[in-house]
Amino acid sequence: MMLEIKNLHARLADGREILKGIDLSVAAGEVHAIMGPNGSGKSTLAAVLAGREGYEITEGSVRYQGRDLLAMAADERAREGVFLAFQYPVEIPGVNNTYFLRAAVNAQRRHRGDPELDAGQFLRLVRATLKLLDIGDDLLQRAVNVGFSGGEKKRNEIFQMAMLEPRLAILDETDSGLDIDALRTVARGVNGLRSPDRAIVMITHYKRLLDYVEPDYVHVLQDGRIIQSGDKDLAAELEQRGYGTFADAMGGDAA
Amino acid sequence: MNAVVDFPVKPEARGYLARFVPDDSEPGWLAARRQQAMTRFAELGFPNRKSESWRYLDLQPLENQPLLPSPAAPRADTAALSERLAHLSLPEAASRLVLVDGRFAPELSTVEPRSGVWFGSTAHAMRERPDLVRAAVEGIEGDEAHPFAALNTAFFSDGFVLDIAPGVTLDRPLEIVHLGAGISESSFHTRSVVMLGEGSRAGIIETYAGEGRYWRNDLVGVLLGQRAELTRTVLVEESAAAVHLAQIEARLGEGARFTGFVLLLNGQRVRHEANIRMGEGAKCVINGAYVVTGSDEANIVTVVDHTAPGGQTSELIKGVAAGRGHGAFQGRMIVREHAQKTDAHQLSRNLIIGQRAVIDTKPELEIYADDVKCSHGASVGDLDETALFYLQARGIPADEARRMLIDGFLREAVDTIEDIAKRTHLLRRLAGRLAELEG
Ligand SMILES: Nc1ncnc2c1ncn2[C@@H]1O[C@H](COP(=O)(O)OP(=O)(O)O)[C@@H](O)[C@H]1O
Ligand SMILES: [Mg+2]
Repeated sequence: MMLEIKNLHARLADGREILKGIDLSVAAGEVHAIMGPNGSGKSTLAAVLAGREGYEITEGSVRYQGRDLLAMAADERAREGVFLAFQYPVEIPGVNNTYFLRAAVNAQRRHRGDPELDAGQFLRLVRATLKLLDIGDDLLQRAVNVGFSGGEKKRNEIFQMAMLEPRLAILDETDSGLDIDALRTVARGVNGLRSPDRAIVMITHYKRLLDYVEPDYVHVLQDGRIIQSGDKDLAAELEQRGYGTFADAMGGDAA
Repeated sequence: MNAVVDFPVKPEARGYLARFVPDDSEPGWLAARRQQAMTRFAELGFPNRKSESWRYLDLQPLENQPLLPSPAAPRADTAALSERLAHLSLPEAASRLVLVDGRFAPELSTVEPRSGVWFGSTAHAMRERPDLVRAAVEGIEGDEAHPFAALNTAFFSDGFVLDIAPGVTLDRPLEIVHLGAGISESSFHTRSVVMLGEGSRAGIIETYAGEGRYWRNDLVGVLLGQRAELTRTVLVEESAAAVHLAQIEARLGEGARFTGFVLLLNGQRVRHEANIRMGEGAKCVINGAYVVTGSDEANIVTVVDHTAPGGQTSELIKGVAAGRGHGAFQGRMIVREHAQKTDAHQLSRNLIIGQRAVIDTKPELEIYADDVKCSHGASVGDLDETALFYLQARGIPADEARRMLIDGFLREAVDTIEDIAKRTHLLRRLAGRLAELEG
C-alpha cells in the first residue's frame, strides 16, 4: 500500500482536535480526491502527512510504502517521494527559484544514491519539464514565489512536482482560484505524473478539476472525519447538493 | 625608552607608549604628528564602554592581553600567503596591492601603472608623494577624540594611497588585500588614503583576512572632489581570534558620491566605523551585512553629517547573529541647520538564529533643518518557520534550508552591489561562511 492512514487523530498546540479519526488507504496507481467544506481539516491532514510541526498526533498511524511516515522528518519524507503542493505556497525573499529547485532535486538524488545534476544538466531538465507542462520560464529567475500571482504560485507548485517526480503527491486546493489555462496546467502536471507506481491525493473544493483529472475515489471530509467515500459520481452529487445538506444527510445516516 | 613622561598615562596605554620610538628618517611634520598622537592616546587609553559608540563592543580581551605594534616586518611564507590570496581575491581586479601584517608585500602584489592614477603603498608614497600622505594625515581630523585613530597616527607602518586626477574613470576595481600572516601576536596599524579629483570615478575592494591572534587597527581617509564617485567594498574575514577595528573618514565634495558596502564575516571583535561628511548635493550609500557566531561581536557604526543642502543618504544594514554572537548597528544621521532638502533613510534588518545571540540596533537622527526627508526603520526577527517547512517539504535538509534562508536574507543587502564581479565574489564568500555556521 502506498499510503495507509488508520484512525488518525491530530490536535493543535492549544488542544483543539482537528483530525478525529481518519481512515484512508491509497494504493499505487490510484488517484483519490478529498472534498469537504472550509475548516473541515483537509489542509491539516495534508500538513500532518507532509510533516509540518505544531500538530500532536494523539492516536492512529500512517504508513507510507510500509514505513512509519510519522516517524520521519519532513525533509526525509520529501526525499522518500512524498510531495505536498501547498494551498498557500510560501514566499521566500532572496532565494532564487531555480537555485532552490536544484537544491531540492539534488537533495533527493543524493538520498537515492544518484549523482547530483550539474548546472547544465539541471537546466536541460528544467527546460524539458517546462515544455511538457507548457509553462514559460519567467518564474525561474525570481525569488521563490515572491511577487507571484496566485496562478503563478500554483503553476510553480506543479512545476516543482513535475521536477521532483514524487511517489505520493498531495495537492491541497491547487485548483482553487485558477483560470482555465492554469487549471489545464495543473491537470497536465497531475495526469503526467499518473502511473502504476505513483499515487495522487487531490484536495479540492470543486468538481471542476475532477473533469480534467478523473479520480478513482472521492472522499468527503467533514469535521475531521471521512464521512463518505465513493467514485467520481460522488463529486457530482456533492456539487449538486452542496456540503451543508450533504453533511446533514450523512450525519443523519451515521447517527 | 622615555625615561620621564610628563603627561598622564592610562595603564592600558603603557605598553604601547613603551613601543613608541621616533623614526629620525621621517619628515618633521610626521614625527611631530606622531608624537602628539601618542600623547593623546596615552591620555585617552581605551574607549570606555560608557562611551556611546563603543558600548556594544567588549574590548576587555584586548586590554587584558595587549597586542603591541610589531617593530619590523616579519618574514612571511609567500607560498602559503599566495594560496590564501587565490581564494580571497577578486579575479577581475585591475591591480592588487597586498599588505602583510600591515606592510606592503611587493612579491604578492601586481599594480598596473595608469596615467592620472597614483596607486601604491603608503610607505612608497612617503618617498615619492609625501604631499599625499601629509594631506591624508592632516586633512582628516578625528584622532583628537578617537583613541585608536590617535594610536594609528602614532604607529602606522604602511597602507595604501590612491590618488586619481580629475576626470579619470577606472573601469575595473582596484583591490587591496590586508593579510595577517599569523607569525607574531601583534597589532597592525595601517593608514590609507583615497583622493579623487573632480569628476573622477573609481571602485576599490578591500579584503581583510589572516591567521592567529592579532589586532588590526585600520584607518582610511577619503577625499572626494566635486562630482567624484567612489565605490568601496569591504570584506572582513579575519581570523577567529582577531580584533579588527576599522575606521573610514570621508569628506564628500559638492555632488560627489560615495557608495560603501561592508560584509563582516569573521573575527572575534569586529568594528567598522564610517564617518562621512556630506557636501552640497552629495550622495552617500552605505549598505552592509554581517554574521556573528560563537561569542564574536561585530559592530557597524556610521555617522553621516549633512552639512550642506541637498544631500542624499541611504543605509541598509542586515545582520545575522548565531550562537552567542552579538551584533550591533549604530547609525547616526546629522542634518545641520542649513542642510535643507536633505533626503536620508536608514534601514536595519536583523535575524537572530541562536538562542543566546543578541542584536542591538540604534538609529539616531539629529535634525536641525526643517525641510528634510528622513526616516529610519529597524527589525529583529527569527527565521521564518513557514519558509523553513516549505524548503524541507521539498527534501532540503534542515541545516541546508536554514542556510538558504540566512543567505537569502543577507543577499538582499549584497545584491545592492552594482559591480557584478564584486557581488558574485562576496556572495561566494558569504556562502562559504554560512556553510560553517552553527545553530
Ligand atoms: N496551525 C494552525 N493554527 C491554528 N489553527 C489551525 C492550524 N491549522 C489548522 N487550524 C484550524 O483547524 C481547522 C481546520 O483547518 P484546515 O485544516 O485548514 O481546514 P481546511 O483545509 O479543510 O479548510 C480550522 O478551524 C483552522 O482554523
Ligand atoms: Mg485548506
